[in-house]
Amino acid sequence: MNDDQMQLSADILTDGFGVIAAAGYINNEGGQAIADAAHELIDKGCATLLIDLDGTRIINSIGVSILLEIMEKLLEDEGRLAFCNLTPTISKTFEIMGLVQYASVYPDRETAHAALTGHAVE
Amino acid sequence: MEVVLHLPVVPNVELVAAKAVETIGSALGMPQTRIEAASVAMVEACLNAMEHGGGQMVVRMATDDSDDIPSLIIEVEDQGPGFDPAVVPRNSASRVHGCTTKRGWGLTLIRELMDEVQIRSHPGRTLVRMRKYVENAP
Repeated sequence: MNDDQMQLSADILTDGFGVIAAAGYINNEGGQAIADAAHELIDKGCATLLIDLDGTRIINSIGVSILLEIMEKLLEDEGRLAFCNLTPTISKTFEIMGLVQYASVYPDRETAHAALTGHAVE
Repeated sequence: MEVVLHLPVVPNVELVAAKAVETIGSALGMPQTRIEAASVAMVEACLNAMEHGGGQMVVRMATDDSDDIPSLIIEVEDQGPGFDPAVVPRNSASRVHGCTTKRGWGLTLIRELMDEVQIRSHPGRTLVRMRKYVENAP
């Protein structure tokens, strides 16, 4: 198990829509790496962010607290935050901590893309 | 089956304990979702022990076959100043939304993710005892 090795990529898929793929342990460092990527995408004009957690199986509350800060930043800017590929335990943790009250959750990236942009992935 | 870990306070040591939960949970035949819930609870208990315990922590894991449904018992012990668990509020999204600090979720997550939780604490010793059944109670 190499859960402490965070693998992260960030891309702008369409105008204003950015995707961050994060696989690994979301602790303070992992959460901050996601936050840094999110702020970079926001600065480039992305008002909608999708965080794809395929490959993430272990998290802690410090890391998720940093995700809460990203969510509040996007809400302040009237943007949208969404997640996909959550394990049941991560989904439940997000529910307990209030992320799913303000962010959308989708089963996979294709479903999220279609719902957030109105277009299916080609 | 019993495992005892004496863990130093070093970065990401909580993953050692989480890995032990995964190994023992798998040996018990626990579904992956329940293993992952117990792993997150273990991580949170270890983080609390490291943050408030002030030194090495002891993690014990044991299987319990005395009930109809077998379970995994997890204990995390530290030697910190202790606290009164009765006065620790259950955290909520509305409580932290808009606040500068988002911390303080550990005990709330532990209580939500595990089937039973007991906390005994006094100056010099805090013991968090958690149980996760192998499967949902009928």
